[in-house]
Formats: sequence, structure tokens, C-alpha cells
Amino acid sequence: MRVAAVPAASVALPASARGLSRARAIRRFRWAILAPLVVLLAGVLLPVLFLQLYFSFHQWTVYLGSWWDAEYVGLDLFREVLSDPRFGWALLRSLAFATASTIGCFLIGFALAGLMHKPFPGRTLYYAVFILPMLTVPVVVAYTAEMLLYQSGPINDLITRLTGIEFKPMWLTNPDLALPTVMLLEIWNWVPFSFIIMLAGLSALPREPIEAASILGASGWRIFWEVQLPLLRPVILLALVLRFLEAMAEFPKTWALLQGGPGTATETVPVYIFLTTWQYFEISKGAAMSYIVMLLTIVIVLLAIQLLRREKRSLDAMHESLATAAETTP
Amino acid sequence: MRRSHRRRLAAGARYLVLSLWGVIAFFPIFWMISTSFKPDTQWFAWPPVYFPHPPTLANYLNVWLGAEEYAATQYAISSQKPLVSLLNSSVIAGASTLLSVLFGSVLAYGVSRYRILSETRMFQLLILRMIPPIVIVAPLSLYYSALGLLDSRIGLILIYFLTTLPYAVWMTKSFIDEVPREVEQAAEILGASRWRTLIEIVLPLIRSGLVATFLFILILTWSEYLLALIITKTDVTTLPIELSKYQGTTEGRVYGRQAALAVGITIPLMIVGLLIRKHLARGFSFGMVRR
Repeated sequence: MRVAAVPAASVALPASARGLSRARAIRRFRWAILAPLVVLLAGVLLPVLFLQLYFSFHQWTVYLGSWWDAEYVGLDLFREVLSDPRFGWALLRSLAFATASTIGCFLIGFALAGLMHKPFPGRTLYYAVFILPMLTVPVVVAYTAEMLLYQSGPINDLITRLTGIEFKPMWLTNPDLALPTVMLLEIWNWVPFSFIIMLAGLSALPREPIEAASILGASGWRIFWEVQLPLLRPVILLALVLRFLEAMAEFPKTWALLQGGPGTATETVPVYIFLTTWQYFEISKGAAMSYIVMLLTIVIVLLAIQLLRREKRSLDAMHESLATAAETTP
Repeated sequence: MRRSHRRRLAAGARYLVLSLWGVIAFFPIFWMISTSFKPDTQWFAWPPVYFPHPPTLANYLNVWLGAEEYAATQYAISSQKPLVSLLNSSVIAGASTLLSVLFGSVLAYGVSRYRILSETRMFQLLILRMIPPIVIVAPLSLYYSALGLLDSRIGLILIYFLTTLPYAVWMTKSFIDEVPREVEQAAEILGASRWRTLIEIVLPLIRSGLVATFLFILILTWSEYLLALIITKTDVTTLPIELSKYQGTTEGRVYGRQAALAVGITIPLMIVGLLIRKHLARGFSFGMVRR
């Protein structure tokens, strides 16, 4: 069921006393709802952001006594972070990790959704099985992966048996393989997310344009590329952006499984910040890194919001025009 | 004739591909469950043991109830208290999720009916969720220690509440948008206040949606790791942290015990997820999928 969303506040009110008191009541209602949110954000987030800013400009570690008289060092910490090759590598690793796992999740999820979106016997069962990985706690994924991937473990054993070729990679201890292994875990864990979004997107596609194209004699492929894919763009964008941001922040699996090792092979940005802050106790350097990452994330999110809003507008406009077309031609 | 042949082939190929992914998706979960029933000699036997023989409950009894007589001495871990963690997890995830849904639905009602937040603000709310937790956890733990909230349930509840709020608002809003406004208008004409309309008419109308939102957010709060790892030290451990303690033990790999704990953490979540499987898309799609 769809209901035209006419915001009550935008309905022109007569400038009568009754209208005025109604407007005032709505304003009061609005602040009764917003005030707790504002108080909470101001009470929790502001001090946290302030502390973080403070530490990125003041050199402090846990050995230095009380943090409030730490020495002011200006932009030194930011300079230190930006000239730290380890941070650069961590950033590259995070970007590679997020890009590869986002693409992997999306391709597999979209393919599965494409195979599933028309009803067939057994569909519910497949759907249930496909969403299970997403419902596995990330730390559990990490420890189960360790049980599965040690060198004489079941995965290597199964592949050896199925192919008949001796297959013994050291998934977790070979520095060249460790990061791809974590990517595979991330993909396994989050294919359900892309799958669910793309399946919903496919099911929500309006039928008229597709029918029109097929009446005009377009092939299945052309319909897919030129009709369905453009219509799916908002959903695709959403699936990619959300997954990418979550993958950039991935910590539990990488940490619980490998703590950034072997060597620094899986040291992504969250892992490096964690090590800097909680193992080397360089709180200030960690804060400066955090600030850089936070600003970077906010820029990405704001850009993504621009894109998503534009897509949502065109989506809404399309649905409006389809609805009016359906009304005029019953 | 050829057409139907081709169609059957296509259907067969579809089942093949889907089943292949089904096996990939399910095998790790199968292995976790299977290992949780294995006696300690089969945890990393060569060749790997796929089905425990004979299956044993020793891992569960030892891990969850601390039954020492079932523990091979070298694997006995006595300092852990998973039942306490289970209680902590339930209270923390439950309370923060409940707050999130209650507050989120009130906010969503305001947005849906009175535009108290513009669409831009609604999207900006997502920043709360998208900032990586690692970025705020250090200053947060200092702030909490100043407030005396470190290692407390309240502290975790508060931060989980804030970080899941965007999902709660978006998801409950999608349910409220579907409620016809005529009912509310009737209530308003009869003289009901906005709060009464919200509490006595709108919220009961979307109660299945509220339950779905609750369970959806419960998935996030139940499995959260990093914030819990830093903000709680000893008193208030949640289940994911409890599980990670088994990794640190030097006695060797205690796969069976870990698996027994992991099964206990994961199964409730799977049940929850399967219960709300039809609503998952709504939780993730932020109004971008129209029904």
C-alpha cells in the first residue's frame, strides 16, 4: 500500500487563531521529540570529539601523568602520521580490502538475486541458507575460519579430495595469502547483505517498461542492460556504498584472526589505530590518525548522501509518473 | 520441444549454482556445530573428522556450566563465566535495542507526519552509524572513565543506542509511512493529542514492524565487538568478548570449547534473523527500495 506523503506542515493553514495554535502545538511537539536527541548528541558525542581533537594536538601517552597538562605540539602529530609509511600501507590495504570485498559481495549477491527473483520450488529454503552467514557473529566467523583453514584442516582436505591434487596453502600464516583470506571471509560474511538488497531491488522493479521492451522485441540481455540495470542504479549504489564503508571499518574478523599479522600483512587502518593506541599506548598519534580517518569517512558519506538523494528523487519521480500513467489508463 | 528442453536445462543449472553457494554458505556453520560435539581428540585430527563419533556434550557442559569433570585437565579454563556474559549480553543488547526502537519510532513519526527532520538531516543521521567505531573508541573510553561509566552496562547501552538509532529511525519510518493518515485525522478530530495518537493508534498499528525493527537491531548490538572490547574490562563482558578470551589461552587450541560457545552465541541470532527474513531488506535499504 502506498500513501501520498503530504507533510502536514506544508498544508496551507488559514491564518486563524486556531491555525496559529496548531502551528505552535506542532512546534512544541517537534521540540519534545528533538530535545532528547540534541541533549544526547551534545552530551556524548561533543565531549568525545573534543577529546579526540585535544589529543591530536597535544602529545600524551599513558606514561606522562595527567592528560590535561599534556604539551601542545601543534600539527606535529598530523605530520608524523602523514609521513608514517606504515599508516600509508595500512590505508592502501584497507582500500584494497574494502574495494575487493565490496565488488566480490556485490557480484555474487547480484548473481544469486538474479537467479532467485522468480519463484521456484525450494526458494524459501535457499533464501534461509543464504542469509545465515550474515547472522553469524563476526568474532565467531574469525574463530571458525581458524578451525577450517589450518594447513591440514578440512578446507584443504576437501579441496584435495575433490580435485585429486595436493592442495596445501597456508591461508593464515603465508603473508601473501593472509589479506586475501580475510577478504574471502568478509565476502562470505556479507554476500547476504548485497543479495538481500539486490533481491528486493529486483522484486520492486516496475513491470511496465520491461514488458514494453519485450513487446518491442528486445532480447533478454538488452532488457537487462538497457532497462533493468538503469532502473536498479539507486539500489546498486546503495549496496556498494554501504558495503564499502562497512568494509573500511572492518575490525573484529581481522583482529580476532590475525591481529594484523603475519608481520604487517593484514594491518588495515582500524587494526593499526588499535595497535597504536592500545598496544604502543601512543594515544595522541592514534587520535591524530582517527581524526584523519574520521574526516575522510565523513567526506565519503556526504558525497554518498548527495548521490543517494539524487537517485532517490529520480526514483520517486519515476514512481509518481508511473502511478499517474496507471491512473489515466485503467 | 527444444524450447522446453532448454528451459529444463536452465532450471537445472540454476539449482546447481544455488546449491553450490548453499554449500559454501553453510559449510563453516556446519563445521562449527560439528566441532562443538567432538571429543578433544578429534578437534584437529588428521585426516579431519567431519562427523563427531561418538558425539559428546562435554564441550557444552564444560564451557557453559563449568563442569570440570568433563574437561581434559589441560583444557580446563576455570576463570571464564559465560553465563554471566550471557546475562550481560542480553541486558545490554536488549536495553539498548529497546531504547533505540522506542526513541527511533517517535522520531520517525515526527519525520513522517510533521517533517521534523528534513530528508538531508535524515541522511546525515547515517553518519552516526558509518563512522568506524575505532575512530571514537579511545576518547570515548577516557570520557567514560571520567564519568565512571567504564566497565558498566549503562555505558555500552548508551553508545549502542546512539550508533543504532539511524537504523531504527529509518526502518520504523518505512512502516509508519504505510499507515493511512485517515485514522490519525479521525483521532485528531475527536480531540486526541499527538502523543496519544502516536501511542494509542500509530504504534499499535505497526507493532509487527516494531518487533521486526527490534530484532534487526538486536542482530547488530548482540554481535558488536570493538566497543565492548575496549569499554568493558572485567566486570561486564559480553559474549563475543568472552569468546575471544579462549583465543588468548596458551594451553593450545581449544576448538571444541570455542565451538560450543560460538554455537550458543550464534544460534539465537540465526533464529532471530530467520524470523524477520522478510523485513531484512527494509532495514538495509533506507527508502531506496519501493514496494
